[in-house]
Amino acid sequence: MDELIVNLKKEIIEVLNLEEVKPEDIADDAPLFGEGLGLDSIDALELIVLMEKNYGIKLTDPSQGRELFKSTRVMADYIRENRKK
Amino acid sequence: MKRGIARYSYINDHRASLDGKTIATARGEGCFLTTLYRALKIDYPRFFKMDNLSKLGFLASELILEGDERRYSRGEEVAIICFNRGSSLESDTRYQATIQEQEDYFPSPSLFVYTLPNIVAAEIAIRNKIHGETAFYLQEHFDARALFERVSEAFEDAGTRAVLAAWIESFDAREAFMTRVEEYDGEPPLFPFSGDTIVKLLNKSRNG
Repeated sequence: MDELIVNLKKEIIEVLNLEEVKPEDIADDAPLFGEGLGLDSIDALELIVLMEKNYGIKLTDPSQGRELFKSTRVMADYIRENRKK
Repeated sequence: MKRGIARYSYINDHRASLDGKTIATARGEGCFLTTLYRALKIDYPRFFKMDNLSKLGFLASELILEGDERRYSRGEEVAIICFNRGSSLESDTRYQATIQEQEDYFPSPSLFVYTLPNIVAAEIAIRNKIHGETAFYLQEHFDARALFERVSEAFEDAGTRAVLAAWIESFDAREAFMTRVEEYDGEPPLFPFSGDTIVKLLNKSRNG
């Protein structure tokens, strides 16, 4: 079990108020947007804040999010390579 | 055309009622608004993203519109007029906390979107496909006469046949009182539409 992915799922659920979703409901490779968790553009901004607040990763170009927020596995890989916290 | 109050709902932090009859009461710990959402078996995950002001208005409208067969098909003829005293100050305060400290400066987008009180009217409109007038007014105290006058003005729009009129407060108290005012030409709705009736129904709701 990838501890970073598990923690990331918990953080996403908390910060996006996904009250009826459990970490195990989110597959590591499942898309977060579109047919996945049904997240919207405000959620995307909130994820950008999460990356900076929790991992010290500042995304200056919001369009990066399109690639980065594909799944929790993609997010975790990016965090591992770029985290400052 | 005559106007009457077809339904009215009331929610505070421990009790919800519809047309004067208690629907749910708080049991144990936890947020009563979430308890009520689950008790009503609503499937609308967006609810959990709302601030308390929007949750109150949303649930009050759910109570009033439940079972209405024309709920999603008469959006052009329904208006939403809301009032309160504390504006969106509860969310304003929470948002302020995210930008208060320079070394912990992380403005929250999801809190920021609720730093306007009229978002509650938008949430109700989105849920019910309502395209009529939406408005939110601030009052020093609940003022039934002002509510009556503003709702009457909304009916001056030839397309308006019904108004969801509400007092929704979540800053120094948590309370929603919503009425559905309808134009009618046949069978009269529950109550006549007047300032006195509104005061009577609110007091009855508050006293349980």
